[in-house]
Amino acid sequence: MIYKLRHETRYDYVRDVDVATHYVHLGLRTLPWQRVISSSINATPQPSHFVTGLDCFGNGAGWLFMDTPHPRFAVVLDAVVEIGRQPCPDADATLAWEAVVQAAAKGGVDTVECTEFLYASPMIMPFAAMRAYSAVSFPPGCAVMAGLVDLTMRIRREFAFRTDASEIGTSLATILAQKAGVCQDFSHLMIAGLRALGLPARYASGYIRTRPPPGGKKLRGADQSHAWVSCWLGPAHGWLDVDPTNGVIVADEHVVLAYGRDFADVSPVLGVILGGGAHKVRVSVDLEPAEMPVRTS
Amino acid sequence: MAVPDLCPDDLRPDDRPESRDELLDNSGRLRAPWRRMLGTLLGLGTATLRERRAEIDRALAEVGASAVLAGPGAAQWRCDPIPLLLTETEFLNIADRLAQRATVIERLLADVYGARHLLADGVLPPALLYPSPHYVRACRGIAQKRHVTLYAADLIRSADGAWRVLADRTAQPAGLAYVLENRRVMARVLPELFRNLDVAEVRPFFDAWADLLQRLVPAGVQNPGLALLTPGHGDQRWFEHVTLARTLGLALVEDGDLTVRDGAVWIKTLRGLQPVHVLMRRQDGRHVDPLELHSDRAAVTHGTPGLLQAMREGAVQVVNAPGAGYAEAPVLAAFLPDIAKNLLGEDLAMPSMPVLWLGDPTACGTVLAAPDTMIFRDALDGDAKPLVWAALTDTARAALLAEIAQNPGGFIAFPRAAASAAPCTGEGDMLEPRGVILRIFLIADGDGWRPLPGGLVRVLHDDDIAGGALPREALSKDVWVLREEGDILGSVGNLGSQALLIRRTAGDLPSRVADNFYWFGRYLERLDSAVRLLRALLARLGRGAVLPHEMPEIAVLAACLAEARIIDAELTTASGQAILAQALHQSLTDDKGRVAGLIADVQEVTARLRDRLSGEMYHSVSQGLRSLKGARLALRSARQLSQGPAPHGLLSDFCGRVLEFSATVSGYAAENMVRGGGRLFLDLGRRIERAQRIAIQIRHALDQRPERIEAGLALVLELCDSTITYRARYLNVVQPAPVLDLVLSDDGNPRGLAYQLTQARSLLAALGGGAEAELACLLDPLLAETRSIVADLLAADDQAVTAALMHDRLRAIETQLAALSDAVTRRYFAMLPMQSTAHLTQDGLVFTP
Repeated sequence: MIYKLRHETRYDYVRDVDVATHYVHLGLRTLPWQRVISSSINATPQPSHFVTGLDCFGNGAGWLFMDTPHPRFAVVLDAVVEIGRQPCPDADATLAWEAVVQAAAKGGVDTVECTEFLYASPMIMPFAAMRAYSAVSFPPGCAVMAGLVDLTMRIRREFAFRTDASEIGTSLATILAQKAGVCQDFSHLMIAGLRALGLPARYASGYIRTRPPPGGKKLRGADQSHAWVSCWLGPAHGWLDVDPTNGVIVADEHVVLAYGRDFADVSPVLGVILGGGAHKVRVSVDLEPAEMPVRTS
Repeated sequence: MAVPDLCPDDLRPDDRPESRDELLDNSGRLRAPWRRMLGTLLGLGTATLRERRAEIDRALAEVGASAVLAGPGAAQWRCDPIPLLLTETEFLNIADRLAQRATVIERLLADVYGARHLLADGVLPPALLYPSPHYVRACRGIAQKRHVTLYAADLIRSADGAWRVLADRTAQPAGLAYVLENRRVMARVLPELFRNLDVAEVRPFFDAWADLLQRLVPAGVQNPGLALLTPGHGDQRWFEHVTLARTLGLALVEDGDLTVRDGAVWIKTLRGLQPVHVLMRRQDGRHVDPLELHSDRAAVTHGTPGLLQAMREGAVQVVNAPGAGYAEAPVLAAFLPDIAKNLLGEDLAMPSMPVLWLGDPTACGTVLAAPDTMIFRDALDGDAKPLVWAALTDTARAALLAEIAQNPGGFIAFPRAAASAAPCTGEGDMLEPRGVILRIFLIADGDGWRPLPGGLVRVLHDDDIAGGALPREALSKDVWVLREEGDILGSVGNLGSQALLIRRTAGDLPSRVADNFYWFGRYLERLDSAVRLLRALLARLGRGAVLPHEMPEIAVLAACLAEARIIDAELTTASGQAILAQALHQSLTDDKGRVAGLIADVQEVTARLRDRLSGEMYHSVSQGLRSLKGARLALRSARQLSQGPAPHGLLSDFCGRVLEFSATVSGYAAENMVRGGGRLFLDLGRRIERAQRIAIQIRHALDQRPERIEAGLALVLELCDSTITYRARYLNVVQPAPVLDLVLSDDGNPRGLAYQLTQARSLLAALGGGAEAELACLLDPLLAETRSIVADLLAADDQAVTAALMHDRLRAIETQLAALSDAVTRRYFAMLPMQSTAHLTQDGLVFTP
């Protein structure tokens, strides 16, 4: 399926911002099941210096420098992306979860990259209660894939999605106790649980296709940023993305922007501004099937 | 002279049999290098050595050398008169082996910030890389010429005579300024010791270093900019930063001085942006760029946004690289031999003191079976405090064991090490053998390393742990490398094989410094003006019965003081004289009084300008501030003793001293400061502040009923120190127009308003840069207004009535002066937005279910 994507982030400042530097993670990942057909990032006002490249995790990143006073700032990602199906192994074919833990702990040639996602990160400190919670899904000898799916489904069942339940700074322990939050909270929590067991787990930032209510018309900009979890299943099967917010294994409706240890690594638009005072931010995302055939060059 | 006081028997360190003695061998004979110095030491005797030691202390205190210690805060740096001696052969042996070690570390860093073969090959467990708080992953893939340009190693010599590495210093190796200072002071205070010895010079090393930094500048750059990034004057190592910047010819900059534009790094100076190509980092590498290294999301207090990207684009070389601190992980001592084999195919030539990684189950079992003699440390964070098992409480031991059980790989353990003992001057008649740690420095020179022929010794306290903890005392020793036959050291590092490059500093005055000078001027003037008001009021209150005509004067002075926030605003109307007098005393003598606050402001800004003031001027200002503080404290205790107000005479005397101080500083600036950047801003600050004060005082003085205006005018003349000039011109007839002409519009009167304005205008002209026209726009109408006020008075039917209505026009002048100050700030300092106004912005994510 080919999707058209538009992600706009817009800041309005109370006073002019004199100098600003923004670090954006808006480069869509190229994956075996995700092909980026076209992608462009545009900012207003025009940055005096704009460079794109890869961050330390291999994500597409951009650096925007603005050095003339401006009252607002907007950055827009326009992309066309083709999504196939994430290959999904047979649960029984995957290693026992303890074997995955061992392989990761041992290190060596197959684990150079995945072991980076084993440890505490800026927004995810492991804690005992979450270890206990996730251990329930991983009885001894359980295939890692089976445990992963079980944990994903439990979070889907037991946690309420409530946008008023958390804000930046709400601790994971609070999320676990109140059993409510948003997709970023669920993802961070699940990653904490997996890492506590010794399983490499990373944070996926991206989008999910939403459908208009029955009989209704889809509103423009109503789609939103999404977050989910990617877990390492051992050298043979590598990473598998699962979505605890929706209780699904990622198949063909998720678009991946970036992977990191947690949100702090892959925040879509992060800036340091001088001046400006308070600011208001608006984000709008449109993700819809491309209506017309897309010509590729 | 008590010769026997150096008898070898007294020196034998028999209470510490396990440690080696630097001076004597096992049979009590002097070791080779010391034979050549002992005669001189014997000749001096311990009493003289103690005197010399005090002299060294004084000399080091003068330059303000401070040290980072185990305790809170910085302490005075000290240097023992007896150096540590190393023969050239011994030194070169250490240096050669350290050079190989430094190469291993450079390759290690290149690998962990690059291909990570060490992980793939299983040489380095991932648990020893990724969780490290000093692994700056954002630096992965940034191609710098090198990670480590300056390397240092802390060494101790064990009983077997071998030097081993206690710690590798790769983040921002400190101590070279102390090496320079120690050597300078030793040469001055103890010239006899150098006699008969061929001591290798340390100075050429610094020339070579400056040259090497120049070579890091990208090819084709015409005017290279080199800077040293310091956290600022509050940092414990500020002394070192100032010394190194001066010695190496680097601009000394702080976070706020730097900006990244068009992919390059710039210093914000008065003449605009100046490029920086090489940045010597003396700040924690983990905080150099808040955009990518955003560990603390709440506040952006450190760093230059975009610095890492400028590194990626090759515009700037940061030395040492921001991520170089990773190599200080204590656990690497256990892995370096394998790393050396893997990366270099060689055995590690300079070994570490042995450590055991508890992530290895066998080692962990051994350590936990017999922990009594062990010291435990965080495996990855060299900044974490070591835990001595023997000194831990049962609770602390249990907590440590629980942590180890949870995460054994996070810890290392090692037995307590005995450092070798070197002779030190003690308090008694004998020299004291005390444990020493030796720091050796090397700089990267092409493919090789060039050692500093010397080093730094830190003398250990008996309770110090050699390994991981800072010594408790700031006692150091100079390290002398003694040349033997021939000149082997001269050939080390091949200095002289290449001609030195011409060096230029990125030297234009940074905006921050100009800002500090401006406020130096303003604070001085503010203090001066406040004290003049206080003195005038004290004089009236101190005469016993207040005369009726003095009442309005007292009211005016109190109003001026209240407006300057020297006393509370309520006091002006209360006007009970006793209460007023008490408020004045408090303001002058209390620690929290406003005058003490103003003096503290001057002191604070002086400290900020430390590296910009000549030694003599800094010394004179500091001494002046100290003596003011002393005088104030004396007044305060006089007040406490007498349980009442101090005599007015004493208070007036104190006021006189403050005014004298302010005049002295001005005099020093006029006589000793180069008339350029800094001094211009100091003067500009004084002029603008004084102009504001004059306008405020005139406004209050004229705020009278017309029949009382004459008293107000007399007060204006007194406050503007213009009474004598006025009498010379007009005798005793006091009228509004001539008085205001003298204090407002006569630009020949240095205590008048017009003079301040014309001076400010010529200062702005001298600054140049096209600012004059823009700012003169603000000054000219003000000058015109002062003339117009006088003209209007002359034309008035009743000058007294008109003068009493000048309130609003004077207020308007004050407002415009404030606007001028704002304009100056915007023009010269606004490229320097305060750090506190930097915000981290982030798209607020609202997620879809």
